[in-house]
Amino acid sequence: MKKLTMILFAALLLVGILAGCVAENSGSSDSGGDAEAGGESEGESVQAGGEDGLDIAVVPKLVGIPYFNASESGAIEAGEDLEVNVNYTGPTQADASAQVKVIEDLISKNVDVIAVAPNDPASVEPVLKKAKEQGIHVMDWDTPADKELVDLSVKQVDDEEFGRHMAKKLVEAMGTEEGEIAILTGGLSAANLNLWIEAAQKEFDENYPGIEIVSEKIPTEEKQQVAYQKTLDLLKSYPDLKGVLAVSTPAPLGAAQAVQEEGLQDEVSVVGSALPTDSAPFLEDGSLDTAVLWDPGKLGYLTVALGKMLAEGEMPEDGQEIEGVGEITVKEDGKTVIMGPPADFTKENAADFDF
Amino acid sequence: MKALLKQKEISILAIILLIGAVLSFVSPVFLTIGNFLDIIEGNVVIGILAIGMTLIIITSDIDVSVAALTTAVAVSIGYLFTFLPDSWISVLLLFLIAPVIGLVMGLINGLLVSIIEIPAIVVTLGTLNIIAGLVLYITNGNYVNSTNFPQSFMAFANYELLGLPILIYLLAVVAIGTWFILKHTLIGRSVLAIGGNTQSSVRVGIDYKKVKLFVFAYMGFLAGIAAIAQTAYTKAVDPNGMLGLELTVIAAVVLGGANIHGGRGSIHGTLLGVLLLAIMQNGMILARIDTYWQNVVTGAIIVIAVSYDHLSYKRSQDKLAKIEVEA
Repeated sequence: MKKLTMILFAALLLVGILAGCVAENSGSSDSGGDAEAGGESEGESVQAGGEDGLDIAVVPKLVGIPYFNASESGAIEAGEDLEVNVNYTGPTQADASAQVKVIEDLISKNVDVIAVAPNDPASVEPVLKKAKEQGIHVMDWDTPADKELVDLSVKQVDDEEFGRHMAKKLVEAMGTEEGEIAILTGGLSAANLNLWIEAAQKEFDENYPGIEIVSEKIPTEEKQQVAYQKTLDLLKSYPDLKGVLAVSTPAPLGAAQAVQEEGLQDEVSVVGSALPTDSAPFLEDGSLDTAVLWDPGKLGYLTVALGKMLAEGEMPEDGQEIEGVGEITVKEDGKTVIMGPPADFTKENAADFDF
Repeated sequence: MKALLKQKEISILAIILLIGAVLSFVSPVFLTIGNFLDIIEGNVVIGILAIGMTLIIITSDIDVSVAALTTAVAVSIGYLFTFLPDSWISVLLLFLIAPVIGLVMGLINGLLVSIIEIPAIVVTLGTLNIIAGLVLYITNGNYVNSTNFPQSFMAFANYELLGLPILIYLLAVVAIGTWFILKHTLIGRSVLAIGGNTQSSVRVGIDYKKVKLFVFAYMGFLAGIAAIAQTAYTKAVDPNGMLGLELTVIAAVVLGGANIHGGRGSIHGTLLGVLLLAIMQNGMILARIDTYWQNVVTGAIIVIAVSYDHLSYKRSQDKLAKIEVEA
């Protein structure tokens, strides 16, 4: 009897482990029917075969969140359009060491280009160095890695411009250049969120002296319900509050939910960075005025397109037109590429997007 | 009266009253009914989970998979919404199905802990990862917003009875029900007995395994109810929305006077623990405390509360020892 229980337990454990494996692998996906066969054979012969067999690996911070799912479909679409093999794979959690392992695997597969959105720039440094030594082209996308190390750096927007743009949109939505506003953020230690908020604060200071920020930026743990509760508290504590600037994708949803439930759509404006499908019910009745972000699908597309150029020995130029993306900006250093201006999602256009 | 003062929950109540007094001086909004309803409604999910966790902690075990369990049920609810017709029957059905899904997952935890006798922290860490991985695999992290919810559920979520949101009644039912089980049923008394002294309780004939199985299954059952509350509260299903919530739940139970080594703990104490954490969260913004100082203040209050509680406990233990010597 005891043996039987042990066997049953062992079986259960095995199922658990297998379930884990499935979840882990689900993130990687190859494009093109014959991609796998081509990709697995030795790198040299593939390169000799010309453009047709280029292997471009795109590594997100993690797989399985809407944002990176959208960039995945963009990257795969680019792979089909440009006839390169795209391998989109990453860790299941935003974990730096798991991401390093993914890159190690890609190096041993001998891909041509690795584009990474590092969870922690310092911890991917050694593994990117190793990739470079093996002759793999290294680039970063979404979030910058060590500047010295990468051949190209793809950025969705200019941080400064993005922050200032959100600030302008908020003032526009408020309809007045005077009043109290509050700033919600995903977490106090998120570097890109801090950059945006600093830029927004600069915009308020320089151009809208009548705007008063009521408190330090308020962290919301990247969770909608925390943002919701904090906004409720803010509305009670500062009855004259005119606007909320919510940075990080769940925060605007929570802030808008609070405004919606209190029925303050006309008194309090909410502007923040959110995906259009998530924010649709709040954009509908004006509890969220504008969601500002970029198209993550385009970002994935651009990453693959630039990866292909890089592998073929070309460098992008300032003002160059990339098919399917638009005009790009290249900064003075020659390797930082900016996709374009931020995109605004409003009541009118939110339904046109599928991410 | 004296017996009431001697209760160990009185110390945490004193701290709550103290903080409350300070906050109502600092902010005129704090002591309003609207604010209190917001505080309670916002913590119904933590409250329900903490009540279940109290039973587990009383038996000197722990369950770190609660947040993942609740998320899994919430995701199932989101999935069910695509099938269920838009009528009141769906909401009733939800109250049957969601707790059962939770119960099944809780039973798995309970079986592993009681039959195979693996330490609960190991079992629940394992199930935490299995469930979280599966949820991520199935949902791909996709957030579901209220546009896909049936109108009947939205009506339920916004329903108010005598001016109180429905979720508050839900918490009250769970709290009173669990209090009754703990106080007046055989299985409830066994929970306390096992936590107090496992050896002796087994000798008087309490089925140790059955009780362990019960507390974990009950936790799962409550996680199912908490999932309904969570979905009704946020009006969305976010697979990442409850990440790390188990720590808040455990903190609330311990603040409420439950002994992590077992044998001690009560429903009203736990509810006070939840209330203390909730008031601190709420008060930080109302009192206009600077963001960077909020964590410092929160941490300091927790340390003070637990030290005060432990000191009074030690004092009462010392008295006990003295009486023994005198006798």
